Amino acid sequence: MHARELSRREYLRAMTAAGLATVAGGAPRLRAAEPSAQPKATADTVILLWMAGGMGAPDTFDPKRYTKFEVGVPVDKILSTFPAIDTVVDNIKLTEGLENVAKVIDRGTLIRSHVVADLGNILHSRHQYHWHTGYVPPQTVACPHIGAWIARVLGPRNAAIPPFINIGQKLEGHGESEELKAFTTGGFFGTEYGPFNLPFPDDAVNAVKPPKGMTPERFAARHEKFKELLKASPVGEMASDHHHESMLKSIENAHRLLTSKERDAFDITKEEKKSYDAYNTGRFGLGCLLARRLAESGARFIEVTTEYVPFLHWDTHENGHTTYARMKKEIDRPIAQLILDLEQRGMLDRTLVVLASEFSRDMMIEGVPGSTAKDQSRAKTDKLGELKHYGLHRHFTGSGSVLMFGGGIKKGNLYGETAAERPLVTTKNPISIRDLHATIFHAVGISPKTAFDVEKRPFYATEDGKGVPVLDLFAKGK
Amino acid sequence: MRLLFSLAMLAICTNSVVAQPDKKTDFAHDVVPLLKAKCAKCHTNGTYKGGISFDTREELLKAKAAVPGKSAMSEIHKRVNSKEEAARMPPPKAEPLSAKEVAVLAKWIDDGLPWEPGFSFKPATYLAPLKPRKVAVPPAKTVGREHPIDRIIDAYHTSNKVTAPAKLDDEVFTRRVYLDLLGLPPTTEELEAFVASKNDSKNADLVRRVLAENRSYTDHWLAFWNDALRNEYKGTGYIDGGRKQITAWLYQSLLENKPYDKFARELIAPTPASEGFAKGIKWRGEVNASQIVELQFSQNIGQVFFGANLKCASCHDSFIDSWKLDDAYGLAAVIADKPLAVHRCDKPTGKTASVKFLFPELGTIDATAPKAKRLEQLAALVTHPDNGRFTRTMVNRIWHRLMGRGIVHPVDVMGNRPWSEDLLDYLAVYFAENNYDLKKLIEHIATSHAYQSKAVPLAKEIAGDGYVFRGPELKRLTAEQFTDAIWMLTGTAPLKQSAAFQGALPPFPAGVPKERQFVRTTLVDCDALMRSLGRPNREQVVTTRPEQLSTLQALDLANGQTLTTTLDRGAANILKANPKATAEELVEWVFVRALSRKPNAGERDAAKRLLGGKPTAENVADLLWAVVMLPEFQLVR
Repeated sequence: MHARELSRREYLRAMTAAGLATVAGGAPRLRAAEPSAQPKATADTVILLWMAGGMGAPDTFDPKRYTKFEVGVPVDKILSTFPAIDTVVDNIKLTEGLENVAKVIDRGTLIRSHVVADLGNILHSRHQYHWHTGYVPPQTVACPHIGAWIARVLGPRNAAIPPFINIGQKLEGHGESEELKAFTTGGFFGTEYGPFNLPFPDDAVNAVKPPKGMTPERFAARHEKFKELLKASPVGEMASDHHHESMLKSIENAHRLLTSKERDAFDITKEEKKSYDAYNTGRFGLGCLLARRLAESGARFIEVTTEYVPFLHWDTHENGHTTYARMKKEIDRPIAQLILDLEQRGMLDRTLVVLASEFSRDMMIEGVPGSTAKDQSRAKTDKLGELKHYGLHRHFTGSGSVLMFGGGIKKGNLYGETAAERPLVTTKNPISIRDLHATIFHAVGISPKTAFDVEKRPFYATEDGKGVPVLDLFAKGK
Repeated sequence: MRLLFSLAMLAICTNSVVAQPDKKTDFAHDVVPLLKAKCAKCHTNGTYKGGISFDTREELLKAKAAVPGKSAMSEIHKRVNSKEEAARMPPPKAEPLSAKEVAVLAKWIDDGLPWEPGFSFKPATYLAPLKPRKVAVPPAKTVGREHPIDRIIDAYHTSNKVTAPAKLDDEVFTRRVYLDLLGLPPTTEELEAFVASKNDSKNADLVRRVLAENRSYTDHWLAFWNDALRNEYKGTGYIDGGRKQITAWLYQSLLENKPYDKFARELIAPTPASEGFAKGIKWRGEVNASQIVELQFSQNIGQVFFGANLKCASCHDSFIDSWKLDDAYGLAAVIADKPLAVHRCDKPTGKTASVKFLFPELGTIDATAPKAKRLEQLAALVTHPDNGRFTRTMVNRIWHRLMGRGIVHPVDVMGNRPWSEDLLDYLAVYFAENNYDLKKLIEHIATSHAYQSKAVPLAKEIAGDGYVFRGPELKRLTAEQFTDAIWMLTGTAPLKQSAAFQGALPPFPAGVPKERQFVRTTLVDCDALMRSLGRPNREQVVTTRPEQLSTLQALDLANGQTLTTTLDRGAANILKANPKATAEELVEWVFVRALSRKPNAGERDAAKRLLGGKPTAENVADLLWAVVMLPEFQLVR
């Protein structure tokens, strides 16, 4: 195992530029620690598997009464469009298409009671913002992504690997790209803690290679000569200036990343073919492979997304069943493989893997019962006529499924319950975004009350510092 | 006059859709109001009856007034519960605490006496004045230092035992003026002409000449104003067309150097062309009560024109300064189309907002007047001749841009103490007396010795009251300045402005060198590199850009495709323009344009080694890269 844990002091030394940049830049300062100490960490690394676009629980991790497709079936009779399957844990059933996850579910906890806020007119990117930052947009300050929080408080595990890596999401070129950027950010922590974006896993290596068309030799020579030029510069007297120094340190940090041996982790073609193929169900699958390689090399927080593009992937406004069959094919094998690989490498105990989505879906209900949210289904009908009517396509916020593996989390555990009949709301152990975040923070040893001064106000890791970790989710003695 | 609390405070109120009961004592909401009402008069802020101070948690413990975790053993608890008149607190002439209040205090002690870190009941010692103040400018210290700014700063330096930094040399001065005022380095000819000139008034002449170049000035300052006014906004919520751009109005206003008071009035009581700022951003779906468009208006007016933070007060009475919920809502009510329900921390209070201006001593707004009239009245109060906060805020922003640090710092906290009240007040009055002319203000600062002196290296940023002004600080190029400078150096600017920028651009005035006649970054959409280097998407008002280069930004400079492609194209352009140039000549060519100076012998050698024997496009691109990576290039010195 390659978990080179740096102590905070070592981290500061390793990341002098980062330290300098933030301390010197008038950036938010960590507020004096509370009397309550930071919790003891049970995980060093977090991998967030993001089911972007609203993954409907009844057709994935929370099977309900199954109804086959038949023309004329009233849609309000339909809860699940896939039959339930058994898993290696007696009381946990999943839906058809998740057979591989079913085999590893004994390594983790399935939460069925994730309740997210209903923000009125439902817009994916606003709920994604809420989920990723813990705060409901709009906010008067730029809120950091949870990955930026973890990067800021804990620092990198390995100074040659950016602490927050974001895999699989294009941030340009579609209708809500600005909305995505609003939370895919270091926020008030600044870009030192912002995401290192790798939208295409098979292209990730180019992000840490010399620019296209430049040989490594030329690249190295260029940097050497830059340093010679710098040495000859008469501006030497300015070297005692913090602007000047932090700039040079950041340039050196970047160069180190571009020349370090850890760069190989970004190159998934270096993976053994058998293993590569096991992951390769498409971009998400390869993203999981890349995440594993980066976790091995010392990344701190990694998000892998199925990618949010309005009306694509999990964002089914019609034709849910067919799309879900495809999506499950894409996620099932690589998720299971990731868990097995981490376990086999002895890393699972200290790596927290979380699968989540901004909300769930239902065949009939937009939002929660009583919500004012506008129905956004594109396949409105009372009775099934064609296949596009079949499957979940209304945004549902009353319950949702989350998976957690490793990092001190209980194994083979089912948490929370949802109603057997519509509305499929949470009936036991609801867990909010705030508390789920508190739980993730707790696992990595960060108090949910951790706060930074922003414009003289405290800004907390969880909303108003009120997140409470669900200690029940952790294995005893952890 | 309002009280000013020195505190650190309360959490940002956020949407509590998934609120859960929080059983722990909420110090700010439960305890502070109670202590303020019942104990503060005799036990805080300089009055400490019986030697008992409630100012801070530490003081409280020192006075042995409470034992954290043990209310029964705590003096406070015993006293408020006491049946003996003589011992009971508050003293007999005041009402005793209710059972509920006693319970709140007991719980607070039992919970371990939680306290907001940094919170004190003792008010800050500084209270920012509102009225303008005419400063008696001290006499000049020596001949040649008659500029009022220098006279004030020289006196300041004397009393702070600081030696003023030396004068900048011509080359660095030229580069600073051009970059600060127009956003670009000077051309070779401009640089040479300035260095060659023997004219005594050449520095001041240069400042005036540069400022007269209205097109380049506008292209540069557009970024500053887009940030401050959330213009060129493409962020969240935009999909509903919620934000109206004001680019055409803004561009024209800068081009004609519209007086700042008129400028502000047109933003507050707007025409269709300028209404985007006041209208704010309309979000889809439900938003927190503190983010409705009316309160955005309130927060933005407060921040942009007064450096006042109304974000806290949009939720509850502020704990960091004097602003109250009523202030934020009072301003919001000015623009509200219908009665505005006041919410405290997202919950309705049952009250309706009444129209109120932040500084009622300047006048009132007629709540019964129609909206357009109310906005006019507000605009008049914001720009009222007696409103020194308006002018102080703006002169401080300009000072910050030119000198690297505000007289009040940070620039959005105008309640902080300036390092020189005289300088701030002098400039504010100067600005008003000169018809709120922004260019005149810039000229006034840029023609002082203070501006024309060497940057002072700082080992680290100095925060808080201990700051002493020594001289200008280094400033990092903004994303736009950095990109513009490279486009100019390499001739790689885009040919056309973006579709978002409508209408024909004004011509460059006669005599503008052709190197500067190109489509600037502010006229095109943000690209990946600019985004990375800190050009914001303007979700929030932005008044300062990141001062430090981060690792990820450095990475984009080292291997990002945008810069690589630009430099490759630039190298080809440069070789084409200088087909017969030797390596020596090319090195000089690049240095003069990028750094506004010739290379020294050591640099010549190093740069020539970069170029190899024969300058190829590849080698020239590498040289360009090495030069633009130098901190000297990336900073205004």
